Amino acid sequence: MTEPTFDAIFDDLIDVNEELQSFLRILDGLLPEASLLLVSEAGVLLDGSRSLAFAQPLREKLVQEARAADGFVVGKTENNVRCHAVYLAKLSAVLIISCAAAPDDAWGPGSALATLLQNTIDLAMHRQEREMLVADHEQSVRQINILQQQHGKLIEDNYRQYRLNQDREKEYARKLESEIAKQTAELREANVRLEEISRLKSDFLANMSHELRTPMNAIIGFSELLSETPLAEDQLDYTRTIAQSAASLLSLINDILDLAKIEAGKLELEHLPFDLAEVIGNVAAMFKIPAREKGVVFTCKIDSNVPKRNMGDSNRLRQVLINLVGNAMKFTEQGGIDIEVAYEREAAGRIVSRFSVRDSGIGIPADRVGAIFEKFTQADGSTTRKYGGTGLGLAICLQLVELMGGRLAVESEVGKGSTFYFVIPLEEAPAEIISLQEHKVIGRDKAAHGGRILLVEDNAVNQRLASILITREGYEVEVASDGAEALEHLRHQPFDLVLMDVQMPNMDGMEATRRIRKIEADPAQKQSYVGLRALTQPLGIVGLTAHARKEDETACYEAGMNGFLTKPIVKAKLSMILSERMPQVSCKETEDPS
Amino acid sequence: MPSAKDLLRKFTELKTLPHVAIKVTQMVNDDRSTMQDFEEIIKLDPVLVTRLLRLVNSPYFGLSQKVESISKAVVFAGMKQLRNLVAVEALRGMFKGDDVDFSAQKLWLHSATVAILAGMIAKRIFGKDGEDVFLAGIIHDIGLIVENQLVPEKLREACKAFREGKGTLIECERNAIGTDHAEVGYLLTKEWGMPQEVLSAIKSHHQGKQVKSVSSASSILLLAEFMAGKMQYWPIVGPIEGLPPELTAHVKERVADYKIIIRDLPDEMAKAKELYESDE
Ligand SMILES: [Fe+2]
Ligand SMILES: [Fe+2]
Repeated sequence: MTEPTFDAIFDDLIDVNEELQSFLRILDGLLPEASLLLVSEAGVLLDGSRSLAFAQPLREKLVQEARAADGFVVGKTENNVRCHAVYLAKLSAVLIISCAAAPDDAWGPGSALATLLQNTIDLAMHRQEREMLVADHEQSVRQINILQQQHGKLIEDNYRQYRLNQDREKEYARKLESEIAKQTAELREANVRLEEISRLKSDFLANMSHELRTPMNAIIGFSELLSETPLAEDQLDYTRTIAQSAASLLSLINDILDLAKIEAGKLELEHLPFDLAEVIGNVAAMFKIPAREKGVVFTCKIDSNVPKRNMGDSNRLRQVLINLVGNAMKFTEQGGIDIEVAYEREAAGRIVSRFSVRDSGIGIPADRVGAIFEKFTQADGSTTRKYGGTGLGLAICLQLVELMGGRLAVESEVGKGSTFYFVIPLEEAPAEIISLQEHKVIGRDKAAHGGRILLVEDNAVNQRLASILITREGYEVEVASDGAEALEHLRHQPFDLVLMDVQMPNMDGMEATRRIRKIEADPAQKQSYVGLRALTQPLGIVGLTAHARKEDETACYEAGMNGFLTKPIVKAKLSMILSERMPQVSCKETEDPS
Repeated sequence: MPSAKDLLRKFTELKTLPHVAIKVTQMVNDDRSTMQDFEEIIKLDPVLVTRLLRLVNSPYFGLSQKVESISKAVVFAGMKQLRNLVAVEALRGMFKGDDVDFSAQKLWLHSATVAILAGMIAKRIFGKDGEDVFLAGIIHDIGLIVENQLVPEKLREACKAFREGKGTLIECERNAIGTDHAEVGYLLTKEWGMPQEVLSAIKSHHQGKQVKSVSSASSILLLAEFMAGKMQYWPIVGPIEGLPPELTAHVKERVADYKIIIRDLPDEMAKAKELYESDE
């Protein structure tokens, strides 16, 4: 496509002689003295501001001469005024000029006037070109301005966007913050709720343990008493069955409570001196008879490198071993069961020892080994039906061993037997503690019995049972069925010791204890209580509670009690605490004469 | 006879401006949109990304470093240039097909020329940002594309009548179709959310009698349309409508300026071709 020109585009709009006219205008301005006439290629006449009158033939002749010539040609107007004509190739037009001031002879080629005029014409034409240059320049300036504006706007835009982004970020951060705050609040609330639920669960368990232990207390106690009365052979057998069932039920209850305690992270191990051989001996004694009855050989072995006396929780250790041996016994029909305590190594002053219980029983299939440590699971469903048991024992053992710093594991082969074992560090007990303990035991054995005990207990069955046990220990007993009644008794009679049930209607054991301690602290009041006024030391009060938890014990001491006994009351424990707490009447009497 | 709206309803079912183009057009009009928003939209279209990067890396921008990230490119190109890039990309595909009575291909060349001329006039003579009139130029005859798609026979009938001197193109269209491409184009671009100035320029690009201001987008579009027509960048054979007297007077006053624009047009077209032309 040929490049379009301005003239081609604006042909019908723009005067074709526009350019000539503008040239004429410029020249007119430059030569104020001269008269001008411009003749276009098409023969159009363009006048300057001062016109030149011409007859057509004269003019046409002059134009033709000028076109043919190179430079100025001379002519005459109608009025006989001399004029000069020149062809302007750039404009394709002939310029006729007349200037009265200029003499004729001055127009020759190369003359000063001709040169001056030529220069003037050139100047006029350049002016026209200059117009284009100026327009071009102005367009450039405008475009540069736009670019500057755009640049400014770009910067402005970017700044605006920066602000927008900042705002958005702030908004986002704010939302995020409030969202986090909201979720934190929700979590906190949920946590509080969970803690509440957990507390309720704990309380429920504590209550359950009370509710369960109270009747168990009676069953175990009375079956024990019953078996000591003269009975026929079959009656004795029934009584023993009752006692055994009650014992196994109690152990089940204890298992469940233990597990609950472990899961709540509330089980704490004691740190007291114990005799390892004694613990093993206890376990062996328990299983001696059943083993013999089953025809299973039962042996115990303790490595001589393992310390005899250690610090720790002997009851829990015993519990683990009883559980393991009990299981072994359950699943072993022939062969033997061995308990072995072996020296492994010494680490950080502790003797790391390996406790193992080996049996020649039915064994455990490899794929069930993991499952047996889980709660309520035995090697398979049929085991439960055939051998009984809750399946809680091993789960508890596992946790207890972990608390002791070891890990319970099993090696087993189906048909050949299993070995359950755990490796725990044993801490040897310091010598002085041992002698003190032994001394105490000796001292206790020497003590003579006698004295008055106030039993505060709301449950009639328990009243009877405890009364019988206390009387058998050789003490006098008086019964009150709540705290208020106990205070009444103390007002009128002296007592050496109070056995105070914690949970009672009207006034509970805690409240009664607090009142007694308050009375003791107030000399005026103390005088009106026969049971208190003679005392130089606080009256001994031993709490009786089915709550076996540590915090229950703490609560008893906080209320002012100075002893603690869990229900069901076991004869041995009762006799021990009574001999500890009751004044050593006979000793004092013998020392008195001096 | 169908109205412009009837025609449009059918057209939008048939073919619409790509989502990206509409979205970008709307975002340019929204003060709260950020470069990131543009980036999110642009990066969905790999062709656009390539084109945008080529645009900012062209000598036209004269950047010393090569721009390789979309976000930077968006920043350098500016929102309006970006919008025009997207519009050109989106429209190009619609201008396909060529026959004696109506050539969509020639119409594309016509539209591009009008757009470039309009941009030049706005910038060089009126010192205005040329991006909006460029958009108006590229899109002003979209109404013809709609008619060509929906009522091709009637459009050809109108073109034939126009060629035979039976009235202006608008009159011939109204006779044959019942509406005209300026009206259809106006309604369609309104739906796409183009700026108001662009809309009225499209609506009046065949109404030389209603010149309000010489520097308005409508006037610039009329001038560019006239010049492009005279340069044979005209898709439909027939007489070219004259310029209204106000614009004629304006050209006479600025002869030197228009001479320069005509002189520089081939260069500008080559530049635009480099920036916008497809690789096909
Ligand atoms: Fe048009
Ligand atoms: Fe057009």
